[in-house]
Amino acid sequence: MSEPDVQERRDLQAAATSHRGDRVFNRIITGAAFVALLVLAGITVFLGAQAVPVLQTQGLDFLTTSVWSPPDYGIWGMLYGSVLLAVIALVIAVPASLLLSVFMVFLAPTSVAKVLTNLVDLMAAIPSVILGLWAFYILSPVSEQWQALLNQYLGWIPIFQNESGNFSGTPFTAGFILAIMMIPIVTSVTREVLGRTPPELINASEALGCSLWTMLRYVALPYGRGGLVGGVMLGLGRALGETIAVFFVLKIVFDPVNYYNIIESGGGSVATLIVSKFGEASGPYETQLLLAAGFFLFLGTLVVNAIANVIVNRTGRMQG
Amino acid sequence: MSATITFDDTTLPELQQQKPEAPWGRRTSKFRTVVILAVLIPATVVTLLFWFSSIPGPVIMIAVYFPLQLVASMIAAIAVRGTKAAADAVIIVSAIGATIFSMVVLISVLWTIITKGLQALSGAFIFQNNEYISPSTPLGYGGIGHAILGTVLIVAISAVIAVPLGVMTAVYITEVRGRAVPYVRFFVQAMSGVPSVVAGLFILTVFILTGVLDNSAFAAGLAYAILMLPTVARTAEEVLKLVPDDLRTGALALGSTRARVVLRVVIPAAKTGIITAAILGVARVVGETAPLLLTALKNDKTVLNPFSEPISALPTYIFDNVAQPYPDAVLRAWGAALTLMIIVAVLFTLTRFFSAKR
Repeated sequence: MSEPDVQERRDLQAAATSHRGDRVFNRIITGAAFVALLVLAGITVFLGAQAVPVLQTQGLDFLTTSVWSPPDYGIWGMLYGSVLLAVIALVIAVPASLLLSVFMVFLAPTSVAKVLTNLVDLMAAIPSVILGLWAFYILSPVSEQWQALLNQYLGWIPIFQNESGNFSGTPFTAGFILAIMMIPIVTSVTREVLGRTPPELINASEALGCSLWTMLRYVALPYGRGGLVGGVMLGLGRALGETIAVFFVLKIVFDPVNYYNIIESGGGSVATLIVSKFGEASGPYETQLLLAAGFFLFLGTLVVNAIANVIVNRTGRMQG
Repeated sequence: MSATITFDDTTLPELQQQKPEAPWGRRTSKFRTVVILAVLIPATVVTLLFWFSSIPGPVIMIAVYFPLQLVASMIAAIAVRGTKAAADAVIIVSAIGATIFSMVVLISVLWTIITKGLQALSGAFIFQNNEYISPSTPLGYGGIGHAILGTVLIVAISAVIAVPLGVMTAVYITEVRGRAVPYVRFFVQAMSGVPSVVAGLFILTVFILTGVLDNSAFAAGLAYAILMLPTVARTAEEVLKLVPDDLRTGALALGSTRARVVLRVVIPAAKTGIITAAILGVARVVGETAPLLLTALKNDKTVLNPFSEPISALPTYIFDNVAQPYPDAVLRAWGAALTLMIIVAVLFTLTRFFSAKR
């Protein structure tokens, strides 16, 4: 070991250990940074611990049957219902958000686009309980009229069949209010993604004689594909976990499971099930059932959100 | 003008006949007529239908006007610019349609909250509590004072917990830059996807069913904190990234420790941004209902002790009064909704104000 090496090592050591206050500070900050992990792990462990005894007593029937009468419980209808509502919401919200962001990015003058951005953000800030109140008193009556007309003219299509003549509490209305909650979330992502299309690509496509449609089809949409899919998935995660707005407009029905009659009264949603049954839970066992249902809801949204974030992050890095 | 090439009859007769094309700049009379027709015909048809048929208005707009306008625009586009322009016409009309649809929804929501909410608002409504009030009690008595206090108490508890933790998480990502940065970021993102009802269930199992806490404002605050933390952390991270590196290296060069750089330089430099992050976090949770239904329950009395008793907040008050058979009870729900919306709007304006100042 020569002299300068020792000196260098001392310097490095001094730099690494530096100050005692710094080490304490680093430890506190690092500890705080892992609270997020702690909470996620806690949710998994504690709700999972409640799901185990439920699966032991009910067996896999808890996930594959649809019944809520003691002693048999199964949430298949609710799981399926959550997905059905999300699909309805996606069918409405994805085209609407894409078109809205196309308007804001490519068509509207800058001043109009700025105002619209603020209004869309305001829309995202409306609490779901208020949207639920609006949906119950304003949207539902209008929606019933639409559904009656849909059934009258398009009733031969299976999804628009309605035997009961009762158009209230349908998956259609619930999916519609979910779509309204999704539109601002998805739009804020898609607007940013479309806005990041390099202007030289847009100019080049215009110089080649592309129309707006060909430019979108061959330049903007492929360029931002990852971000667009990620934005939609984020909205989907929100739709799966939404509770209160759906609670006001959807009639929870376990049996028979409403598989595709979207304008027939009655449907399901795991999140809404938890809130609607919690108040009337008749003992620790029913509470445990709801906690188990919450566990599966958590797993579902976790997967959807993880996929969404991976996609969004990857495209974010690609574009710098 | 001397530099521009001019054509005259004697030298280039054939070029003079073919004027240079500028397809984007031309507004011929044919173009104008076609556009005016494409706007007027659907509008006229719809107005006639509106007056002379019994089909409800919204249905006419969506089932008749929108498709008709779409077809009219396509025909107009084909007539003026050829078949390739038809797709553009469809995109433009649908984009405007989607924008109008979203704005109609937004305006309808705001309009109903304001008109119905104003019928309920009064001094008594804002300041009194719900004790001795039944759903059939007329509007002059009782109100949401206890619920406003409840919301303030619960949100304050959650902010006290979540804002420091969120800012510290952001400091870890931008300042400490430990090895776990990608993981921490991933967990924060995953946490932002936790449904509010699951946050409520978590607090319920860990603290309430085990008897550690009662159904109380503090339990609800913990559930809110779970929802608030990721919003604060992500916004604070963005804000801390904006602090120029020169400030950090400058402070280090002056002999400051890393802890002091963060506490005395970086955080003061990003002060308004961190306030924005905190406000965004509050705005994220203030209307959440599901966690309250599981943890805070409800209470008609004014509660000030955050540990002992169930407590009502604005969202739970709205929840209780929806779908009551008494019109006055429903108006109470609208009044509480207006109050909540005003709080959200104030927070929203504050964030705009602070981020504009930054």
